[in-house]
Amino acid sequence: MVEKTVYLRLRHRIQVHPNDVISIDKIALIVGEKELTEKLREIILHKIHPKDKNMVVIDVMHVLKAIHKFNHQLDVQIIGSTQTIVEILYEKKKVSPLLFGAVWLLLFIGAGLAIMNFHEDVSMQEVHQRIYKIVTGKKNDQPLILQIPYSIGLGLGMVLFFNHLFKKRINEEPSPLEVEIFNYQLDLDQYVAMNENKENLNSVDDDLK
Amino acid sequence: MLMTILSNIILMIVGLSGGLVVGSGFVAFLAVLGIIPRLTQLTKTYRFIHVYEWAIILGAVIVGWMSLRNTELFQSELWLIPIGLLCGVFIGMLAAALTEVLNVFPILAKRIGFGEKIIILLMAIVLGKIVGSLFHWIYFVNQ
Repeated sequence: MVEKTVYLRLRHRIQVHPNDVISIDKIALIVGEKELTEKLREIILHKIHPKDKNMVVIDVMHVLKAIHKFNHQLDVQIIGSTQTIVEILYEKKKVSPLLFGAVWLLLFIGAGLAIMNFHEDVSMQEVHQRIYKIVTGKKNDQPLILQIPYSIGLGLGMVLFFNHLFKKRINEEPSPLEVEIFNYQLDLDQYVAMNENKENLNSVDDDLK
Repeated sequence: MLMTILSNIILMIVGLSGGLVVGSGFVAFLAVLGIIPRLTQLTKTYRFIHVYEWAIILGAVIVGWMSLRNTELFQSELWLIPIGLLCGVFIGMLAAALTEVLNVFPILAKRIGFGEKIIILLMAIVLGKIVGSLFHWIYFVNQ
C-alpha cells in the first residue's frame, strides 16, 4: 500500500476562548486527499483548562502524535513553524480612566521636561539668538518669531515620523511604532515558544513520562 | 617666518581632522536614527535619495560656515517663521526617532493593555513636547 502524503502547516498564533476545544483544524492548514484531511481536521489536540492560564504552546510533535494515533501510515510533511501559540482570551478587564489619565499626564509632563532639558543641554536659546542675528543682522535676546514656529514644528515632526495625524494616516505603510510593536510581539512569541513549550522542557524527572 | 608657516599648517591639519570627525559623526548619527529613509518612505521619493544626501552635506557646510564667520544677511524677520518651523520639524523627527520613545509604547500596549488607545498616548508625548517647548521659550528663559 502506498503511503498517503498530507502537508501540514501550523499557524503562528491563534486566539481562543476559555473552555474551547482545540482541533487540528484550528491550529493548522492541511493539504492532502480530501476525505482524509477532513477526518484529520476533526482530531482534538487539547482542551483549554483553567490551569493553562492565558497561554498554551502546541508543538508540532504533539500534532504528529495525534495524527499517528489516527493513522500511523500517513506521511506528514511539516511546512513552516514548529509550534503554535494559543492565546486564551478571557473577559477583558476595562482599563480604568483614572489610570489612563495618570499615564497620559506622566507622558505629557515627561515629554515637556525632556524637551526642556534637551534645549538647555544643547544651548538652544543661544543657537536661536545666533540664527536671528544671522538672518536679520539685529540682536534679539528672545527671538519668539523663530521659537514659536519651532515649537509647532517640533510636534509636526513627531507626528510626521509616527505617520499619525491624530487618527488619520498619511499613507498605507506601517509606521515605525507599529513595526516596533510587531517586533516586540515577535520577541515575546519566541520567548513563549521556547519556554512554555512542554516538548522543549527537558528536566531530569521528565524522562519517565 | 618658518614658525608661522609651520603653525598655520598644523592649524589646518587640526581643523581638517576635527571637521572630518565631526562630519562623519553627524552622518553616522543621522543614519542610526533613520530619518532620511523615513522621509523618503513617506513621500515615496526613493529615487532622490542622493539629492537628499547633498542637501544634508550642503546644509551642514553652508550653515556651519555662516555660523563660524558670523555672517549676517540683513533680511526680513519673516524668514524666521519658515526657518523655525523646519528646524522644529527636524528636531521633532529626531526626538520621535530616539529608540527610548519607541520602546516605551509596545510595553505600554501589552502590559497595561492600552492597545487601542496608543494614539492618544502618542498625542500626550507630542503635545507635551509642544507645550514644554513653548513654556521654555516664553516663560522659563526669563526666570
